[in-house]
Amino acid sequence: MSMSPATQQEFDTQSLFYNRWKSRSLRNSLMNWVSGSIALIACLPLLSLLGMVIYRGSRALSWSSFVELPPAPMQEGGGFGNAMVGTITMVSIAALLAVPSGILTAIFLAFLGPDSKLAEAVRFVARVLSGLPSILAGVFAYAMVVLVMKSYSAFAGGVALAVLMLPIILLTAEQSMRMVQARLIEAAVGMGCTSAQVVRRVLLPTAFPGILTGVLLAVARAAGETAPLLFTALFSNYWLVQEGQLKLAEPTASLAVFIFNFSGSAFDNLVEMAWSGALILVLMILTLNLSAQLLAKKLQR
Amino acid sequence: MKIDPMRRLVLSLLVLSCAFVAGCAKNESGSPSSSSGSSAARTKLQGSGASFPAPLYLRWFKDYEKESSTVYVDYQAKGSGAGIQDLINETVDFAASDAAMTAEEIAKVKNGVVMLPMTAGKVVLAYNLPNGPAEVKLSREAYCKILMGEITKWNDPVIAACNSGATLPDVAITVVVRSDSSGTTHVFSTHLSAVNPQWKEKYGINKTINWPNVSHLVKAPKNDGVMALVKQTPGAIGYVEYGFALQTKQPVATLENQSGSYVKPTTQSGQASLASVTDVPEDLVVWIADPVGADCYPIVSYTWLLCYQKYSDPAKLKAVHNLVDYCVGEGQSISESIGYIPLPPSMIEKVRAATAKIQ
Repeated sequence: MSMSPATQQEFDTQSLFYNRWKSRSLRNSLMNWVSGSIALIACLPLLSLLGMVIYRGSRALSWSSFVELPPAPMQEGGGFGNAMVGTITMVSIAALLAVPSGILTAIFLAFLGPDSKLAEAVRFVARVLSGLPSILAGVFAYAMVVLVMKSYSAFAGGVALAVLMLPIILLTAEQSMRMVQARLIEAAVGMGCTSAQVVRRVLLPTAFPGILTGVLLAVARAAGETAPLLFTALFSNYWLVQEGQLKLAEPTASLAVFIFNFSGSAFDNLVEMAWSGALILVLMILTLNLSAQLLAKKLQR
Repeated sequence: MKIDPMRRLVLSLLVLSCAFVAGCAKNESGSPSSSSGSSAARTKLQGSGASFPAPLYLRWFKDYEKESSTVYVDYQAKGSGAGIQDLINETVDFAASDAAMTAEEIAKVKNGVVMLPMTAGKVVLAYNLPNGPAEVKLSREAYCKILMGEITKWNDPVIAACNSGATLPDVAITVVVRSDSSGTTHVFSTHLSAVNPQWKEKYGINKTINWPNVSHLVKAPKNDGVMALVKQTPGAIGYVEYGFALQTKQPVATLENQSGSYVKPTTQSGQASLASVTDVPEDLVVWIADPVGADCYPIVSYTWLLCYQKYSDPAKLKAVHNLVDYCVGEGQSISESIGYIPLPPSMIEKVRAATAKIQ
């Protein structure tokens, strides 16, 4: 009994309390600060880019930016209305090509033959494709469409963008279909559903938010691509619609190429226009990305 | 119950996309007939190529579109080399180049080529020299050595020798050259080869030059890019068409010509250089490597519109004829204000005669 107080005295209980001046605590808080501030620095590129684009881009932005054609050098005013129409059209063409094929492939990968040799090969190809430099998609579409049709065109641009969109749509759609609970599918099969019925009534509706997220991300990526469009759609100083006809087989303007061409210009008005175009493109892509993330959150809940 | 609206959405999207595809297909099959058939449809000419005359061409084509109710013309300044490539691949209706075309290139064009000088321009050395003198003169030795990377400071004795009385700042030179295949480079290197044997031997004449491997030489695409880089870089000097320097209010060097006098790039000095060459070959490709005459600006060149000899679409054929007619006619009156040299009357006649070859 008399021993215990003595042992208590020998053991320094103070050392168990947190002391911020001890070397290990100092090291700990130092590292916390370092990683915290580096995390902040990681946000810096996006924030400074946004700030710069908003600051420079909003100056020349006006209603005419949306409804007028690009100015010639040494001309004042003008806009990039045709480039906005062109971007939306070409991304739509790309989506029309990539979304159906992407989703159908994903159905095969996730449901019909998930363990087949073919599925393995397709997954591998899709992953390689998703890492493909975007300019190669442009070269591909140049050879396949431009040289065959003998003209730069919105179609060619759409094909190039579709090549970039396909792997994103395919892989995210497969992922979200795999997340559909097996018991739902088993129940459907148990009730005598055919594969087609399972896909239509269970798999697609349940995975729908995830699929849509992938589609939105793919669209956002495609909308911002410049390199593939340089080879395929070129640019145009005119509207896509002439005399009530959609001129999809002719060179087509896009926001990305508009920014690329005009930002390198030596003329102040054209450079200002490029900044405004950049602001609009960033806002378009940001909206798509944010809605994709909102959808993804909804999916998790 | 919850599933239904989603299914409807997917279904309606599918229907919509089918309708869109059908619409496109219909439109595609409809377009060729309409361009030649109904007279109300407008004909489009697509061109690409040189950036050297691009400001003038874009102005011409916009003005021409206003005047002609049936034709509209689009032009993309990609550089002469890219324009020629487009012409060979038949992805455009016409191209433009300030290096004309080599016999080898012409041989690759199935439908044949007609080369028509449209305007002429002066290649100037635009510079950006803070606290520099009002006028910078460059002797032939000076600008050749600058381009070959041998002079690195603005106050180098070689530059100082031709600017007596002026104080040149102690600023490092940045040489800005073209990164793409360029007719302007072709014109400039043609001149440098004519005046400097060392240049001729080491770098020669080409649309792309194997530039000296020095750290103060940077590359930029197209006339626009070179001009923009010069404007942004203190101490920079680069070669561009005069109009680009004029419109961006960047100073240009006064250059020594063959007779030893220093000449500013003006319309008069440019016209003097054009006039110094009298015999024009049948293909209308004339090089003015080093014009002789005290008033001549040393680096001047024509720039060519490259048309096919045969157009299968009669509407396009007519449009090309009308367009060329407009450019060498009415169009010449605005070239000077944008910084180009109007064609001499004798050349205009030759161009008009040559358009007969386009059928």
